Amino acid sequence: MEVTVVKEGKHGILGLGAEEATVRVQPLTKVPDNMDETAKGVLETLLARMGIDASVEAETKAAVEGGGGASEVVTLDVSGDDLGILIGRRGQTLFSLQYVVRLIVAHETKARVPVVIDVEGYKKRRYEALQALAHRMAEQVKARGRPFTLEPMMAYERRIIHLALADDPDVTTESVGESQARKVVITPREK
Amino acid sequence: MKDLVEYIAKAIVNAPDDVVVTEETGDEGTTLKLQVADDDKGRVIGKQGRVAQAMRTLIRVMAAKQGTRATLEIL
Repeated sequence: MEVTVVKEGKHGILGLGAEEATVRVQPLTKVPDNMDETAKGVLETLLARMGIDASVEAETKAAVEGGGGASEVVTLDVSGDDLGILIGRRGQTLFSLQYVVRLIVAHETKARVPVVIDVEGYKKRRYEALQALAHRMAEQVKARGRPFTLEPMMAYERRIIHLALADDPDVTTESVGESQARKVVITPREK
Repeated sequence: MKDLVEYIAKAIVNAPDDVVVTEETGDEGTTLKLQVADDDKGRVIGKQGRVAQAMRTLIRVMAAKQGTRATLEIL
């Protein structure tokens, strides 16, 4: 966040004649310089200590987010042989790795940086698979006229399903259940 | 495995000099014990244990690679 003081406040006497200060708060849209190199270094160190032989490519890209305004993200692409171990069941290991890298980078630079790690294009493939699944299941729900519950998924995966079907006039989606067991239910829209 | 925990812990706490990791190997595999300054405890555990959970996941991967098991305890 970037904070600019527009108008200084006044203390007044015993609170009389006090004025609130006016500040402008703007979301930070640019990633600080060298952030991609810092993040890359952190990930490389982690991988080396884990005894994993892989190479990392870093890039700073513009990511368009909902609600207008583009912000930058640092993407780290990991490639190498036999990296399934780094992805884990449903990408769990990949997310743990990403979480740890974000923490370390944030602590080192005192800045919150969106760091996105992918291993051998896993996230991209998963994104496409989830979109296809969402559409296929929505068709079934429409044909049968009954709700369908998908298997438990992580928040970001559920988000992909919700977004994939957001514009579908015939079905609605909702997440139900607690934490690890949260899943998406696709329901026919009431006419 | 000790190196990995030490690196992560030192990189996220405010008092890296107070980070101590010990490693014990027994029948059940390796047990890693992580000790940090009191004020840093929350940082290595995280909200709802997320940080500890993430560290455990990475340790498990390493252990699996070496064909053994490992647990992490935060003291």
